[in-house]
Amino acid sequence: MKFFIDIGRNTLNTVRGVGGASIMLFQALVGKPQPRKMFPLLLRQLYVVGVQSMLIILISGLFIGMVLGLQGYTILVDFGAEQALGPMVALSLLRELGPVVTALLFAGRAGSALTAEIGLMRATEQLSSLEMMAVDPLRRVVAPRFWAGLISMPLLAFMFSAIGIYGGFIVGVQWLGVDDGAFWSVMQASVEWRHDVMNGFIKSVVFAIVVTWIALYKGYTAEPTSPGISAATTQTVVYSSLAVLGLDFVLTALMFG
Amino acid sequence: MDNLVTVEDVYFKRGDTSIYEGVSLQVPRGKVTAIMGPSGCGKTTLLRLIGGQLKPQSGSIKFADYEINKLGRNQLFNVRKRMSMLFQSGALFSDMTVFDNIAFPLREHTDLPANIIATVVKMKLQAVGLRGAGNLFPSELSGGMARRAALARSIALDPELIMYDEPFAGQDPISMGVLVKLIRSLNSTLGLTSIVVSHDIHEVMSIADHVCIMANKTIVAQGSPEQLKQEGNPLVHQFMYGEPDGPVPFHYAANGYNADLLGGGKP
Amino acid sequence: MEARKIELMVGIFISVAIAALVFLAMQVANQSSSTRGETYTLYAKFDNIGGLKVRSPVKVGGVVVGRVASITLDKEFFEPVVELRISKEYSGFPETSTASILTSGLLGEQYVGLEPGFMDDDIFVLENGDTIYHTNSAMVLENLIGQFLFSQGND
Repeated sequence: MKFFIDIGRNTLNTVRGVGGASIMLFQALVGKPQPRKMFPLLLRQLYVVGVQSMLIILISGLFIGMVLGLQGYTILVDFGAEQALGPMVALSLLRELGPVVTALLFAGRAGSALTAEIGLMRATEQLSSLEMMAVDPLRRVVAPRFWAGLISMPLLAFMFSAIGIYGGFIVGVQWLGVDDGAFWSVMQASVEWRHDVMNGFIKSVVFAIVVTWIALYKGYTAEPTSPGISAATTQTVVYSSLAVLGLDFVLTALMFG
Repeated sequence: MDNLVTVEDVYFKRGDTSIYEGVSLQVPRGKVTAIMGPSGCGKTTLLRLIGGQLKPQSGSIKFADYEINKLGRNQLFNVRKRMSMLFQSGALFSDMTVFDNIAFPLREHTDLPANIIATVVKMKLQAVGLRGAGNLFPSELSGGMARRAALARSIALDPELIMYDEPFAGQDPISMGVLVKLIRSLNSTLGLTSIVVSHDIHEVMSIADHVCIMANKTIVAQGSPEQLKQEGNPLVHQFMYGEPDGPVPFHYAANGYNADLLGGGKP
Repeated sequence: MEARKIELMVGIFISVAIAALVFLAMQVANQSSSTRGETYTLYAKFDNIGGLKVRSPVKVGGVVVGRVASITLDKEFFEPVVELRISKEYSGFPETSTASILTSGLLGEQYVGLEPGFMDDDIFVLENGDTIYHTNSAMVLENLIGQFLFSQGND
């Protein structure tokens, strides 16, 4: 009996949450566009969300690429196939690691910050105060952050993949002595713009929507107390990571399966 | 009498907890109306109902000719341009200077050129005595100054109604005195209507023209300060004279004291 | 002043992203030019396609001229039919051409090798939708070993 009640309650809560989040996003994004007011806000959020995540993305990408180069080499050299190091590094980065790791780092770096910021704005009544000043906080606070996340994450994923491939090149070619020409030419022969780069791009757009959306919704509905905000921040990171990994499987199955 | 805000027979529930059961009150135009009551009786909720941030389950709330609880989103935003609210925390935007905070509603709702906005902002800052603090960030202000800056922001658009949510809470006597004087003088010089929610009896009594006392989920008494001091209701008497025990009990509802202590140590 | 710094940093951010994209486009990915643009379709029937996959390359003398578009089984004769999508740039193969399923290297991927046949007056040119009749199926390791053992036994 209790079991069914639990199932029912959880289902209802999930539906309510998804519904609320959809309404929030709809109200934030639909309406008369006001580019003159929006642009400075968007620029500022691009700075906070994108620029400030750039360093961690570049460094992580470099290291992951180097590890891929090292691990890939030790495996491939046993088959005498170290020529295939280039495509191995490039394909794993472009198809999987670029979009996925970027999304996970983004959730930890920018997503949690978004949740905490909006949660604190709620706690200090800044959101209510906007409402009372007849300014819609959804359009003023939520919308620019959403667009900034949506624009930044695919760009960050490209940076991640590019620098990761360069990291693989440093380890594979400069250090372990794979042939320079073979590394790039075999890579070029097997990486396809539309199939690999664009599908990775689509993945990271999907992840961007999901992570930013979760972060904004969790912040917007956070309980305005210190434990409430800290719980919301944690939930942002946990839910967006799970959502990213789950969706990644679905998207991979659809694209490459 | 001409009332700017009329609240009639409002029932409001948050979750399963009933907050109001039949609240009715009037806010006369051009006067300072105080709403008082013990902590936790939902005074702030009343302001949010008037501002349309919350909707009552039943009853009606009128501001000027608009029925707030029946307005759509866009109309509500239009009506809100005519009212403003001073939040307990001040609610200044922490990423802007004081100047930009006060310019914010002007930039949002008017197309005035920058030099006129600057003039208006300086006038408002002068009114609250903070003209020198325009370049500071909210984090650099003391609590009293932050509240005055927020006050300047709430009068930036010259509203008809201004709602103060606990304006005196946590203020030292000097800033309290400054705020009392400001609320009174803004009300008379700008022709505002003010609603002050507070439980600081003495300060409120000194500025209010009309007082409503709220307890037990409804309004127990309203009238001028003098009328209320004569009021026979024991609850009003307890509140007005600050007695620790009476109709509002000192103890939170609990089992018998003896039974609790001897009952085996369960919390 | 602060607004200018933000603009500058966002500008750098976007530039780095574009640089990354250009790097991926120029250095890492091929534009799959052989399947871009105008193509025409040829069919080839094999006995066995081995490990051939959709999107495997079609090569003439090592040059990629197209890709495998689809692999289906003929309903009547239960033969695999491979649909080849070849770039219009490379047209005019004679109908005597041979399609073979080959393997690049010992462990490499399988591809379709197209070998142009001889040209004569009464030989037609393969057009869109035509079928190549001369085909060599994929080598299947088990069959090879079987043949080898059989021939050994005959000696």
